[in-house]
Amino acid sequence: MTTESSCKAPSYNITCRMSHEAAALERLCQVVRVRGFRIAKMAVDSADGALNIALTIQGTRPVAMLQSQLEKLHTVAEVKLAAPVVAAASRIA
Amino acid sequence: MNGAQHILEAFHRHSIQTVFGYPGGCIMPLYDALVDDVRVEHVLCRHEQGCALAADGYARASGKLGVCIATSGPGATNLITGVANAYQDSIPMLVITGQVPSALIGTDAFQETDVLGMTLGIVKHSYLIESAEELPGILEEAIELAQSGRPGPVWIDIPKDVLLAETTVLPEPMPAQPQATCPELSDAIALLCAARKPLLYSGGGINLAHAEDSFREFAKCSELPAVVTLKGIGNAGKHSAHNLGMLGMHGSRAANRAVDECDLLLVIGARLDDRATGKLDGFAPNARTIHIDADAAEFNKLRKAEITIRGDLNVILKELTQALRDTPLAINEWRKQCQNWRTTGGFQAADNEEPLAPITGPAFISQLSRTAPDDTIIACDVGQHQMWVAQHYQFDHPRHHLTSGGLGTMGFGLPAAIGAQFANRNSTVINVTGDGSFMMNAQELATIRRYNLPVKLIIMDNQCLGMVRQQQELFYNNRESQINLDDNPDFVAMARAFDIPALKIDRTDQVRRGIETILAYDGPMLLHVAIAREENVWPIVKPGGSNKEMIDETRRTAADKKEKIA
Repeated sequence: MTTESSCKAPSYNITCRMSHEAAALERLCQVVRVRGFRIAKMAVDSADGALNIALTIQGTRPVAMLQSQLEKLHTVAEVKLAAPVVAAASRIA
Repeated sequence: MNGAQHILEAFHRHSIQTVFGYPGGCIMPLYDALVDDVRVEHVLCRHEQGCALAADGYARASGKLGVCIATSGPGATNLITGVANAYQDSIPMLVITGQVPSALIGTDAFQETDVLGMTLGIVKHSYLIESAEELPGILEEAIELAQSGRPGPVWIDIPKDVLLAETTVLPEPMPAQPQATCPELSDAIALLCAARKPLLYSGGGINLAHAEDSFREFAKCSELPAVVTLKGIGNAGKHSAHNLGMLGMHGSRAANRAVDECDLLLVIGARLDDRATGKLDGFAPNARTIHIDADAAEFNKLRKAEITIRGDLNVILKELTQALRDTPLAINEWRKQCQNWRTTGGFQAADNEEPLAPITGPAFISQLSRTAPDDTIIACDVGQHQMWVAQHYQFDHPRHHLTSGGLGTMGFGLPAAIGAQFANRNSTVINVTGDGSFMMNAQELATIRRYNLPVKLIIMDNQCLGMVRQQQELFYNNRESQINLDDNPDFVAMARAFDIPALKIDRTDQVRRGIETILAYDGPMLLHVAIAREENVWPIVKPGGSNKEMIDETRRTAADKKEKIA
């Protein structure tokens, strides 16, 4: 489903490194959703027991709030916020 | 040792002596190991939700880790409300559930549920154990994690085969926590000293950080006018001269007025919850904010703070106290103003002099507060009685007031009182509940009876869901919807069916005697208190409204009269 509000919401690129444990990605995605963002793009690779995740997310709330919530997760080692994406991300199906 | 025995070994290492649980298929290996263990007392509740809430009450009343245990499937799902309750109020809890054997996970096996997946949003962390070898290390990590930083529930889901598997692996000792250092406070101290109308705003974080003594020393030294959140009740002790009481939706007029007028909010161990702040746009409109907390994620979440300080509240409060000893605050006019508000806008519970008059909630709670011993622990449920307790009971310590603040869980009080009684065997523990809440976990009367716990039960019975009825009256044009409980069971007969003596009162002249009777009784006893159906909690702020727009009984009555005349 595409909503008008989601298309107009600012986009952000976040990278995250976390332990490769059961439900790691679910945990990350759940926090993104609950804190008011939608995932537009997601890429994951694993190496040495860690997951490296690149996310493009959309949302109208302050992204720093999401970053601090992600950093709180016990198995998250690092969260980096890239410069804001100028153009809106592609529409979400 | 097998996996189950490793769990008990972890309990012994961490001096965990009391756990609350309910057995079933996949957790049976742990219950088998318990048969041979004399160092862990297992409390058998009558429903898994009761186990989780009892563990929560145990943790709140003791400051220790609460532990609950259940089997897979329905055992685990029944725990969820209790664990969510602990999560919302940052209560340290270890949750252990059995899971179907590893080879059956994902096959829709009997009593299989994806517990890890369905609880992600209500735990500080969770684990699904994949081998016996990793269990000892994870137990150590989970116990540490649940209690460190901002506490919270940690859930370990353990397949039955892992509980049965033998392993010789021993846990590595957790690295020692570095000594807490004090963050830079000079900017905060400068802002505090420059303020003309500073206000101390404290919450449940004081208690969670075991920082009550440091907080009281700071409050006494600074002589700051102070307000508390629901979970911060008791922080200042009942004799504090500068405490204006609880703020927020059902807060005192004095507290909300001071927040509205202050020019600096010093927020310590609180998260600026919506029930406390009301509409954010209108909250403390003239104030700058210093926010001190253990959890950085709370900073600027709902209100922008000029200064944020993350750290150990004990260390920070001691440093602030020292700074203010050197530079006392020159705010006498503001203190005087707040004292005036406290005199005229504090909580007042008028005693009804007419002996045959119906019992009112505030007057009953005031009498209870005057009669019960100082170290009494009150475990509330959720609703009008909860607010009357918050407003009219004089608590001397935050651990004496157990209340479901964040989740607002009806049914919390009775199992929480059970947990509190296990944590404080010689203290008076009273569950103050409503007729709606009581019925949500009434099966735990059997637990009280089984262990002969001297828990006192007070049901404030208005034959309806009073808080919902009140809001329907005030904000939904008095259109009552599904709040009627006038077919409640006979609570006295119900208690007696569990072999718990009980009595009923319904007149003002019976209040004191009723309270004294249950307090004097050497064992559990229930007091059924009939109160008027139409009684409301005053003051109240409309949900989503500003704290400035408090509605009190006088204004409401005046508005009613005007309506009737028109």
